[in-house]
Amino acid sequence: MTQYHKFLSFLLLMVNEMAGFFTIKSKNKLSLILSVIILGLITLGCAGQTWQGWSGFTAYDGILYFGAMDGKVLAINPSARSQELPFPSEGEWVLPVKAPAAPGGMCGPLGCAPSAQPATIYSTPVAAGNLVYVATYAGDSGKVMAINRLAPGYDEEGIPSWNEGEWFYPRKENKSIGAVVGGPIVVKDTLYVGSSDGKVYALDAVKGNERWEFDTGGKIWTSPAIKDNVVYISNYEHKFFAVSSMDGSLIWEIELPAAVASSPVVAGNDVFFGTFDNQLYAVDGTNGNVKWTFEGSNWFWSTPVVKGDVVYAGCLDHKVYALDASTGEKLWQFTADGPIVSNPVLVDNLLVTVSKSGEMYVLESDSGDLVRTVDIGYSVMAPLYAEENMVYVHARNRCVYGIDVQSGEKVWDFCYSDIK
Amino acid sequence: MAELWNTIILEPVLNSLIAMCTVFGGNFGLAIIVLTVVVRLILFPLTVRQTQSTKAMQSLQPKMQELQKKYAKNQQKLQQEMMKLYKEAGINPLGCLWPMLIQLPIWIALYQSIMQALAATPENLLNLSQHLYSWAAVGQAVPLNEHFLWLRLSRPDPNLILAILVGGTMWVQQKMVTPPTADPRQRSMTSMTTMMMPLMFGFFTLSFPSGLALYWVVSNILGIIIQYFVSGGWGYLRAPSAPKPTPAQKPMPTQKIPPPAVQPSKTAQKAIEESKAIKKASEEKKRGLFGR
Repeated sequence: MTQYHKFLSFLLLMVNEMAGFFTIKSKNKLSLILSVIILGLITLGCAGQTWQGWSGFTAYDGILYFGAMDGKVLAINPSARSQELPFPSEGEWVLPVKAPAAPGGMCGPLGCAPSAQPATIYSTPVAAGNLVYVATYAGDSGKVMAINRLAPGYDEEGIPSWNEGEWFYPRKENKSIGAVVGGPIVVKDTLYVGSSDGKVYALDAVKGNERWEFDTGGKIWTSPAIKDNVVYISNYEHKFFAVSSMDGSLIWEIELPAAVASSPVVAGNDVFFGTFDNQLYAVDGTNGNVKWTFEGSNWFWSTPVVKGDVVYAGCLDHKVYALDASTGEKLWQFTADGPIVSNPVLVDNLLVTVSKSGEMYVLESDSGDLVRTVDIGYSVMAPLYAEENMVYVHARNRCVYGIDVQSGEKVWDFCYSDIK
Repeated sequence: MAELWNTIILEPVLNSLIAMCTVFGGNFGLAIIVLTVVVRLILFPLTVRQTQSTKAMQSLQPKMQELQKKYAKNQQKLQQEMMKLYKEAGINPLGCLWPMLIQLPIWIALYQSIMQALAATPENLLNLSQHLYSWAAVGQAVPLNEHFLWLRLSRPDPNLILAILVGGTMWVQQKMVTPPTADPRQRSMTSMTTMMMPLMFGFFTLSFPSGLALYWVVSNILGIIIQYFVSGGWGYLRAPSAPKPTPAQKPMPTQKIPPPAVQPSKTAQKAIEESKAIKKASEEKKRGLFGR
């Protein structure tokens, strides 16, 4: 049921209740008419979806992999797209991912019955070897799956089927680990992922078997970060953890005044992340001591980028900040036309960021001076991805744009709404 | 316009709700209950006025029906006579409208606040960020803990408990304010509405987030309590078919509607007297309530 339907239904209910105070002759008729309209809205509204996802890209062998907003996993070839070849071309495919049965499907007199629904992907996939790893949201019914990136399986009728070597976790069809929002990370042969069931899972990346799990005791909507055999993860209960990547044992944990909003990034010995009380934290990765904090005017939602001794952080207060990684001192700031939701990227000495309203900014990374802007024209919430001079953008109009950072030219675009 | 609405009405309610959540140790269910009580208390004088106006209006119904029959073909005359009747009874016909118009935006803001604060999806959470104040109490509470008793407040109640509570309290409230009528056609219509609305509300509860259903239950219970004290009892709930006159509500508005064609003048006089009596009784009660 969409927010719009719910609000409209509520509005009518309120008017109806208020109208109940009148005893005018037409009151009963009015009530009945309103009730019928509300019933219609509720029935229509139940089938609606309230989440769409905002997956970023991963690249392997020149192919981009990402989760589409309609629950499909797509592989696209930038070279084929720039030549405007028909889809699918070499290395390209589309694979619909269905979530297990979950509440929130169709509604009937006894409530909303379970039904299969698009999986919805917020997390950025990871490609390693012949597999691409995808974690799904799907309300409360998320799973982790490994798909053969060279030949995803289809049966004779074109319906996806599982190939040798592909796996999903949990293995039982109707089991789930809860909604996954933050992306998985693969290091060597282990995949690490945090889920809204409050646990961090370490899985065998080849076979999908569970190696260990660590219960943080609160919902996880961020990605883990890994360095030197330590997994850094936060939950929505104001906690930040360092866990051994070998066996999932706790190394240290800290409690913060507010919950962590962004996925962490590790640089040197330090871990950087934003919180819901508008702070950006630098924490010593070895013991959890807070080195410094920097206050913005809204949440630091996107994952910061670190290069050398500078932390670049996009904020929902419409600004991008460049901070000294050692002290937290502000080096420069740039004000965009809207909140910064997407992770920024560095291309040589340029910092590329995009506002939620769809304006892309190319900035000098050492001064924050604006080099150029590129109007995407549609809202952008997915992380940016850069490869050589190209930056790839996944916009809310269900299109992908390849943009040359040096010229600011939109080299190609690819819209996937009509792909079957 | 949307900006103005957000700034003046939605954001104050939303941030109060979230800050209240911090005050109650991150218990959002308790915050919903307390804020609903607070809003009801703030709007209490308006609710009292509205209830009184409605009761006074109800008392004029027999005469209204009579006038409608009498001047069915002359709308202009009907309007004049109706206005005259209101004037004689000392009632402002818009008296129960403006308290409603003031209350409605506040209830809508409370509804929006509960929906936005719950932020069930990542998109909702991001949207919430644009409506929050930089209060420490707000930053510390977000994202809200959605667990309350057996409920997940952003999801519908999987049991029927909330649905039954919403439907039941709504039925009691409706029954208290809906007068019985002698007209068989209207009576069947009224009883259908009285039953249908609670049933529908109960049904909606199965689809709406349980945080909103919780607000409905609390709001209905408070409505019943206010109605009980302002009207001096269970109203029409205790006397569904033939209400007996009570000293405070002497006599009940729809009691024994005489055939209008036989004694028009007596009916009119009686209705006006009833209306004045109710107004007077309500005034005394109001003084009593506020004087405590």
